[in-house]
Amino acid sequence: MIETINGPHRRMWLCCMTFALGALVGGVATFGTLAVLGSLAGVGGLELVAILGVAAAIADVRGRPIVPQIRHQVPEHWRRVLPLPLATFLYGVLLGLGFTTFVYAVALWALAGIAFALGSPQAGVLVGLAFGVGRALPICVLAPVAHRRAGRTVVDTMVQRPVVLAVVRRLAAACLVVVAASALVGDASGATRIGAGTDPSVSGTTVVWTSPTGGVARDEGTAATRSVPPHAAVGGSLIAWRDGDIVHVAQLVDLTAVLDVTVPGVTAVAVSDTWLVTRTAKSLDARTIADPGTVLHLATAKSATQLGRPALDGDVVVYHVATRRLSTIVSFDLTTATRRTVRTSKTNLLTNPSLLAGELLYDRQTSRAQLVELGPLDDGGRDRVLYRLGAPSVHDAGHEPGDSHRTRNVPPPTAKWRLWTTALSDTQGYVTLLPATGPAGAARLLSLPR
Amino acid sequence: MPRLPDAGAIGEGLALSTSRRGFLAWTSRLLALVAGGSAVSALVKPGEADAFHFCGHIYTTDSCPHPTGLPRIDAQGFPLRAADGRPVDDLGRPINAAGQPVDAHGVPLLDPDGLPLPPAPRRRVCQDAVAQRIARTTHIDGAWYRCCAGHVRKLVDCCAHTVRRINGDAALTGYCYAGRRVYCVMYYDTKIPC
Repeated sequence: MIETINGPHRRMWLCCMTFALGALVGGVATFGTLAVLGSLAGVGGLELVAILGVAAAIADVRGRPIVPQIRHQVPEHWRRVLPLPLATFLYGVLLGLGFTTFVYAVALWALAGIAFALGSPQAGVLVGLAFGVGRALPICVLAPVAHRRAGRTVVDTMVQRPVVLAVVRRLAAACLVVVAASALVGDASGATRIGAGTDPSVSGTTVVWTSPTGGVARDEGTAATRSVPPHAAVGGSLIAWRDGDIVHVAQLVDLTAVLDVTVPGVTAVAVSDTWLVTRTAKSLDARTIADPGTVLHLATAKSATQLGRPALDGDVVVYHVATRRLSTIVSFDLTTATRRTVRTSKTNLLTNPSLLAGELLYDRQTSRAQLVELGPLDDGGRDRVLYRLGAPSVHDAGHEPGDSHRTRNVPPPTAKWRLWTTALSDTQGYVTLLPATGPAGAARLLSLPR
Repeated sequence: MPRLPDAGAIGEGLALSTSRRGFLAWTSRLLALVAGGSAVSALVKPGEADAFHFCGHIYTTDSCPHPTGLPRIDAQGFPLRAADGRPVDDLGRPINAAGQPVDAHGVPLLDPDGLPLPPAPRRRVCQDAVAQRIARTTHIDGAWYRCCAGHVRKLVDCCAHTVRRINGDAALTGYCYAGRRVYCVMYYDTKIPC
């Protein structure tokens, strides 16, 4: 290839550019396609990325034969029958595709597997671009100087000394190890996507949420799931769900009926062994499981005020109150009928709290970021961020077109998701992500290590 | 012969007492003439030493903190999205009259249960947000007007008793009164053609 491009009358620089362009196109085509297929297959899993990376790294370090090997070269006659810039572009495409010519490192197959496993088209495109750059760089650097003595020496060394290939394979192995380590570290400390769904709640190690196909219950220690009614919440040994205007309460273990209550306009429920809390458009009410006829009014929503989804932990219920002037999170002790504002902001939007053993998990949205924060119920100064997303809205450039760019209004990245309902267990936090655009039914659920 | 950047720096220092375009034009041209003639003078146009980042703004004081970036406000001082003048809350979300976030067509955004997403606080940019930021009472003392995109634009100084402006350096007097200085700037687009 270097010889092909290096000819003195062959428009060398143009050929270099077309070759590089072709390599990029080929790389993006291969890895982008694999990533799209991976996303459609829903493979996922950073563990698989780590396994592929380590396995390929070992093979490359040890100089293992590359299997499968592609024993083909680019069609030589193209450079004779086609305009050379077009031929070099097509050569670039073939080399960028990766699997159409001789493979020099196991890393290629590992990258293909990683792109598929990640299932992220953006990541696939980036891998493809990087691969294309890697393919094009040696050619485009050496071709202009290949006719000189030093260039000739380098080219000869590349093609005649196996040690060069061994070094390249070791470098690729080192990069794969870094990728594998990043995957493992990211998996250990980052969020894990559970699946499509919304409105999680937790009792012990059982997490319950509503998926597009119905309610789902899962034990945190296993991946096994079972069906429960949709729009359900768990607490203590009970599960409660709403079905129209009727709220059902049952034993979590076997769904044995405990209580049925009619609550006109109910939009959310929370339950514990002692209490059932319901939300309607304008009020938040509690009643005991033992005496559901006696209703305790917790809050009433005035115009332009929204009461959030309640969350119960024993005798304490938490919920958000959102107005145009103030955003608050309120805790209400049902045994003493005392209400306290535990978080408040005139600037940020605080929503969707959940509570466990005196620890509060909630969403904080600012103009520049969205945060899932965890801290003691009684001490907002010690909150820490469990999860962070970009801004909830699109910012402008901070300057008008044609005017100076000198401003501090640097726009933050905009998130594709909005934080929504949360839940808290001993080891995990859970948060719903609503799509920033499109139907809310495409929501997904994340688990966050505490 | 003094070099051009020095002339600009002197001009900017003098301009600390008044930040307006006419003064800058006069000063910079005078300095350039002193420095060496019309050739240099032609290079120093009014405002060239400044950092105006939106139409009509002629000095270096930066924008007031705004939920979406450019400091466009309505007649009461609440934030508007610069691109289309739609009201936004403090998260930068376009909102309706009830404060509920809406989509591009003005339809309220809904949660998975079909309920509107909660409203967020919405504060006046200068009188509330900046006042909270610097823990001082802020005032809108005066304004000046320019023609921008075919309409009259009112440019507004957000003033306070502060020696520092939002940039972090010395605040200017601008159109502030009673010893107040400019902390940051905003603008209000009128519908008056020009």
